[in-house]
Amino acid sequence: MTGPPAREVKVEVVGLTKKFGDLLVLNDVNFSVAKGEFLAIVGPTGCGKTTFLNLLSKLIPASEGQILIDGSEADPKTHNLAFVFQEPSSLPWLTVSQNVEFGMLIKGVPPGERERRLRSILDIVGLADCANLFPNQISASMEQRVAVSRAFATNPDLLLMDEPYGQLDVKLRFYLEDELLKLWRELGATVIFVTHNIEEAIYVAERILVLTNKPTSVKAEIHVDLPRPRSFIDEAFIDIRRQVTDLIRWW
Amino acid sequence: MNAALEHPTTVQGLQRHKSPAAILRRLLKNRYVLYLVSISGLLLIWHFSAVNFATSKYMPTPWMVLKELWRIAHENLAGKDLLGHLWSSLHRVLIGFAIGSAVGVPLGLFMALNRYINNLVKPVFDLIKPMPPISWISLAILWFGIGEESKVFIIAIGAFVPALINSYNGIRLVDPALYDAIRMLGANRWQTMMEVTFPAGFPALFAGLQISLSVAWSCVLAAELVSARSGMGFLIILGMTMSNPSMILSGMVVIAVTAYLITVVLSKVEKWVCPWKVELPQ
Repeated sequence: MTGPPAREVKVEVVGLTKKFGDLLVLNDVNFSVAKGEFLAIVGPTGCGKTTFLNLLSKLIPASEGQILIDGSEADPKTHNLAFVFQEPSSLPWLTVSQNVEFGMLIKGVPPGERERRLRSILDIVGLADCANLFPNQISASMEQRVAVSRAFATNPDLLLMDEPYGQLDVKLRFYLEDELLKLWRELGATVIFVTHNIEEAIYVAERILVLTNKPTSVKAEIHVDLPRPRSFIDEAFIDIRRQVTDLIRWW
Repeated sequence: MNAALEHPTTVQGLQRHKSPAAILRRLLKNRYVLYLVSISGLLLIWHFSAVNFATSKYMPTPWMVLKELWRIAHENLAGKDLLGHLWSSLHRVLIGFAIGSAVGVPLGLFMALNRYINNLVKPVFDLIKPMPPISWISLAILWFGIGEESKVFIIAIGAFVPALINSYNGIRLVDPALYDAIRMLGANRWQTMMEVTFPAGFPALFAGLQISLSVAWSCVLAAELVSARSGMGFLIILGMTMSNPSMILSGMVVIAVTAYLITVVLSKVEKWVCPWKVELPQ
């Protein structure tokens, strides 16, 4: 498979395997992510996408295999990981701006730098107007934008996203995906974006990993070399969509 | 003259607006009107039953109670006026409440955070929990005498139970998603506790303190009914021994109003300490 010119490897996953008792969920998963790459992972429902992400984020331990970030074993205490969950996870007692700042506070970012990043991110995502509102005073989509902003603000080595826009309507999704791309481009983060929505994956990602059914392994890797902004009715887009759909449909 | 008013349909429209049914509808939509109807209805029924029934000897009219209120507010009853007695009760409540919550809240927190402490304390607490605080009164009097201590003891027991239960549950029921979120950011145990556990559990804890305070208020009255030389419960007993039902009822009114004011103050405090619970008006 021919890829884009060689880039510096940021994350390397080697022989990652997870068993729950006798149940083999992940079977020898190998792939790598380049620095600043936007990687999407798609797979059939119930293929263990969430387990996969929980392993990557070290929320649960792997049975075998390694996850290396910049060549050393991944660890939330030393590496800067960030996670955007399916459900909105902003802290209800903090305002929008305090929530966005919260990740940086935990990571020990110095106050001046914190303030600077906060302002620039609130501007990018257009949350400056509701900076002083509490999460129960804003809509679910805005809450998810707060979570995305909080993750980006920490300047993560690796940003993991678990179907962050899965619960939002289609029109809003496109809008937020554009916003996500804007953040990604401006801040240069390395992103792994898990979704079951093929169009979404093709729209945002530079490269797509297609997973098999359980026990999960990487079935195929597809480079998406389309110019941005991408169009859903573009022929090349439709072609890739067909390719990915076939990969998921036929076992 | 306004031309529009002369137009027949407009005039009709205005007349329809002023019809009695429309006025009534508008009045009924205003909740304060119904509040007024409710309260005056109660006072009227009270008044007529006090005047017309055989028990009326022991049932004063609202007006008599009001006059009695005025009297006891200005007269010395067993060394204190009405405000003095009210303060005696409040004073006991505050001390008992402070002791009860100072023990209950930290204990509840420790139980929620540490399962050894939980397993040690829970069996004993489950035995104490269902006992009405008043049931301790005889023992309390034997232990501490009929002075302040026995009353404060009852109140502290009453306040202790809800304070413990709510601080325990507040911490136990924190949304696990919030923990995942902060752990992902690489927080240590201390940061998790200070930044998520306590703020997330705080509203439940505060609700527990509100319940504690209202339980404390009913405990003080019960304790004072049994033995006291001051306080609102004592005033009611004084009314009974003097066969003065107006005095009993005025005492009850003051008790109710005080309890209501405490609730109002606490909900204001809640808005102040948990501003994030307040939703924007839609």
